[in-house]
Amino acid sequence: MENHVTQVAFKVNGEEHTLDIDNRFTLLDILRDKLNLTGAKKGCDLGECGACTVILDGKAVNSCQILAVKIASSEIKTIEGLNQGNTLHPLQISFIENDGGQCGYCTPGFIMGAYPLFESRRNVSVEEIRLALAGNLCRCNAYGAIIDSVVGAIGIKADG
Amino acid sequence: MVDQNAHPPSVGTSFQRADLRDKVLGIAKYTADLSLPDMLHARVLRSPHPHANILSIDVQPALNMVGVYDVLTPFNVGGGKVAPDVPILDTKVRFVGDEIAVIAAVNVYEADAAIDLIKVSYEVLPFSTNMDTSMKKGNPKIHSQGNVVNGGPIVEARGNVEEGFDQADYIVEDSFTTPDHHPASLEPRAALASWDGTRLTMWKPSRGIHADKAILASALDVDPNNITVIGPVMGGGYGSKDETRTSVLAALLSMRTGRPVKLELSREEEFLAGRRRHSTFTKIKMGVKKDGTVTAVHVKTIMDTGAYLSSGPGVVRRAGQGALYLYRCPNVKYEGQIVYTNTPTAGSYRALGAPQGHFALESLSDQVADKLNIDPLKFRLMNHVGPEGQPGERTTPKNQIIDTQPVEGGIPFSSNELRQCLILGADAIGWERRDQIQTPTGSIRRGIGMSMFIYRGGPGGQSNAKMSLDEDGFFTLNVGFMDVGEGSSTVVLQMAADTLGVLPQMVRLNSGNTDNTPQSPMTAGSTLTFSAGQAAVRAANQLAQIVIESASEVIGLTDTEGLYITPEGVCSTSGDEVNFTDLVKKSGLLKTTVSVTPGSKDYIVNSFGAHFAEIEVDIETGYVKVIKYVAAHDSGKIINPRMAESQVRGGISQMMGFTFLEDMEIDDLSGVTLNASFLEHKSPTIMEYPEIEVIFADSIDPVGPFGAKSLGETPCIAPAPTIANALYHATGVRLNHLPFTPDNVLTALRKLR
Repeated sequence: MENHVTQVAFKVNGEEHTLDIDNRFTLLDILRDKLNLTGAKKGCDLGECGACTVILDGKAVNSCQILAVKIASSEIKTIEGLNQGNTLHPLQISFIENDGGQCGYCTPGFIMGAYPLFESRRNVSVEEIRLALAGNLCRCNAYGAIIDSVVGAIGIKADG
Repeated sequence: MVDQNAHPPSVGTSFQRADLRDKVLGIAKYTADLSLPDMLHARVLRSPHPHANILSIDVQPALNMVGVYDVLTPFNVGGGKVAPDVPILDTKVRFVGDEIAVIAAVNVYEADAAIDLIKVSYEVLPFSTNMDTSMKKGNPKIHSQGNVVNGGPIVEARGNVEEGFDQADYIVEDSFTTPDHHPASLEPRAALASWDGTRLTMWKPSRGIHADKAILASALDVDPNNITVIGPVMGGGYGSKDETRTSVLAALLSMRTGRPVKLELSREEEFLAGRRRHSTFTKIKMGVKKDGTVTAVHVKTIMDTGAYLSSGPGVVRRAGQGALYLYRCPNVKYEGQIVYTNTPTAGSYRALGAPQGHFALESLSDQVADKLNIDPLKFRLMNHVGPEGQPGERTTPKNQIIDTQPVEGGIPFSSNELRQCLILGADAIGWERRDQIQTPTGSIRRGIGMSMFIYRGGPGGQSNAKMSLDEDGFFTLNVGFMDVGEGSSTVVLQMAADTLGVLPQMVRLNSGNTDNTPQSPMTAGSTLTFSAGQAAVRAANQLAQIVIESASEVIGLTDTEGLYITPEGVCSTSGDEVNFTDLVKKSGLLKTTVSVTPGSKDYIVNSFGAHFAEIEVDIETGYVKVIKYVAAHDSGKIINPRMAESQVRGGISQMMGFTFLEDMEIDDLSGVTLNASFLEHKSPTIMEYPEIEVIFADSIDPVGPFGAKSLGETPCIAPAPTIANALYHATGVRLNHLPFTPDNVLTALRKLR
C-alpha cells in the first residue's frame, strides 16, 4: 500500500502537521481520524449537507469534498480552533444565547459556514446570512434560531 | 419546607439547553466521533434485489485481502433475532438495501474494496413495491404469515357509525395519500462495539439504552449483566433510531475478532436502512346535520410498513386518534391496516401516524364546512372536543389509569385549551381579513388556511429516578431516559431543582449509561417531560424530606419544624444553618429511589393545538410561499419557553418538507430507491424558512408535573392540512396527495381549468 501514501504538510488551527496521507482520504477523514478533531461531521460525505464545513485558506469549504493530498501548505481552521480556551468566539456565544442548536450535529458546520461572513467586517443582511448558509442542512430545522444567532454575533462584534 | 423566596424558580425560564456549550465548541461526542485502540471499521453489503433468496455467498476473495479481518453472512451469525421479523442476517432479502454481509477491515476504504469482492448467488423472487400489489391474492409472501399484518385491520369504534350517517343531512367523503417520508437525521446511524472476552460495551445513538440492552442480550445470547449500552449525544432522532440491527452486527464482529468495531452508515444507507414515516392511503367520511353538528366519522387507513414491521402497530393506531377524538361526536369508527412491501422499512417518526391521520381529517373538515357554507374556523369552534370529553360511557374501570388514546366517551380531559388555541391563533394570523386578502386574478394567489389537532399528553411507561446529595454538595439525578436532541434532560433538571429549592446549576443529570441508571422506557410518544418529570419531582420531594431530616439531626433539633432548604444548604427560622457539603460530611451520602406510573385515573391527559398559515401560490410555476405561519399550542405549563419555541418552530419547518418536498421515490420496476441522497431528496433549508409565530395557551395541567403536558411531536401534526386548506382558499383547488411539489400543484391547477 506504500505507493498510495503521500507526505503532506499543512496547518490546522495554527499548528503545523506533516502526515503520511492515504491518497484516498479526504480532508474530513484526516481531521476526524488522524487529528481527532471530530467537530466537523460526516453527514453525507457528498458535499450536500455542510456538516463538515471548515475554513480552508479563508474560505468555508465542505471538507469531505477535498482530497487530503491537495491541502499541502494550506491553513485550515476548524470549530475547535475558534475559542481561546474558555474565551468563546462571538459566534459560539451567540449560538448558546439564541438556542442556535438542538441536537447539535450541524452546529459546527453552521458556525464555520457563518465565520467568513462574520470576519468580512461589514453590515450583513439576513438575506446574506441565509445565502451563506444555504448549503448547510439542519434537520431539527433550528433555522430561525440559527439566523438569530448569526445576527446576534454580528451585534456582539459591532458592540465590541 | 422549600423556601420559595430564596431565588426565582427555574421552571418557566429559558435555562440554557444542556450540552449546548459542548456542541458549539465542537467537543460534544457523537457515536461516530468515538474511537478505540486497534479499532476495526465495518461496512455492509446490501441487496441489489427487492426480493430474493440467498443461495450461497463466496467470501474467500474478500477474506484474502490484506487488512480484512472478518465477514458476517447469514450462514455464520447464528439464529438470533433483533425483532420478531428481523433475524441478525437472513437468507432472504426483502428490499433493495437489505443487509446481506458485513466486512470488518482496517479502514472503511479496505472494507469497501472487500465488499466488492463478495459473490452472492440469488434466487430472485417476484416482488411488490406498493400496497395494492402486496395485498393481491396469490402474490408472493414477503413474510411467511402473509403481506397484511395480522391478516386484517385494527378496528376501534364508539357508538354506531351507520346510525350516525343515517342522522346526517350531508355526508362528505374523500380519499388522501401521504408519501414515504424520511427523517434523514443529519447523523447517520452508527455503532461502536467492544468485547473484552466476557463483557460487551456498546456505544450507539439510542432513544432507549435499557431497551437496546435487552435486545442485544437476546439477539447475541449474552447475559444482560455483561452488557453495557452507552448512548452518546444523538445527532437527531425525531422518533427514529430505535432499531438495533446495526449494533448487533458490530457487536458480533467485535466478539469474533476480539477487537473494537465501528460501523457507520453512509448517507445512502441511512435513507435505505433507517426508518421512514409510513406512506398511507386513507378513505374518510363525515356526516353532518344542516346546523353543523357532526353525527358520524368513519376512517379507513392502510399503511405501507415496507420490508419489516418495526413500530407499525403503534403508528397505525395513532393515525386514527384524530378521527376518533378531535370532533365531538357519538359515532366514530377507525380501521387501520398495515401492509408489507419490498421497500425500505417504515417505523417511528415524530408524531407517528398523527400527521397522516390529521391530513385526511382536517382537509375533509374544511370540505364539510364548505358544503355547509360555514367558515372553517367557525365549524371547528362549533365541533371541537371540549374539556368535558366525548359523549358516551366510561368503560375503563374506576381504579385504572386512563389511556392517552381512548376510544370510549364519558371521561373529561385534565385540561383542554383547544378553544383558546383556535381563538388566539386566528387573531394572530388575522383570520378576519381572510376574504379580503384573496387575489382571484393574476399569477400570484393568496390564501389563509388552518387546522387543529389532538395528541397524547405525556403519560408513558413506568418511570424511575434516583437522586442523591453528594460529597461535593451537589445533587445528582440519575435517570435511564435519553435526550435525543429535543432537550428533555434540561427541562427534567429544571423541575428537579425547583422541587428541591436549589439552583439548576446545583443538580447534575446522569443518564446515558445502563450500568448506573435505573430502568426507563424509550424516549417516545412525547412522554419525557411529563413522565420522567413526575419521577424527578417525586425523587426531589423525597430527597428534600431526607435532607431536612438529616439537617435536623446534624443541627441537633428534636424535629424538622422551621427547617427549609436554601440554594446553599438547610436553614431554620431560628437562625441555625448547615451547608450541603457539611451535611453530607456528617450524615453520609443522602439518596432516594422512586418509581412512578404516570397518568390519571380520572382524566384523559392530552395536548392540543391549532395552526394557521398565510400563503402565496404562483399559479404559473406551482411554487407555494409561506408568508406567515402561526402555531398555537396547549401543552400545559411551558417549562422552558425558549426551548419549547425552538421545538415548535423546528417541527413546523421540518414538516414543510413533508408538505412540499420530501418523498422517497421507489422505482416500481426495480425496487430501487432513486433519491437516497440529500441532493435528490430535498429537505427544507434556511432559504425557505418562514416567519413562524408561536403561541402557548394559558394552561396549567392539574396532573402533569408543574402543570406540563407533552410538546415534542405535536408541532408536526397540523402543518400539512393547514397548508392544504390555505392552498384551497388561495386557488379553489384541493390537493389530496402530499407532497405539494410545484409539479403536483401545477398538475392539480391544470385539472381545474
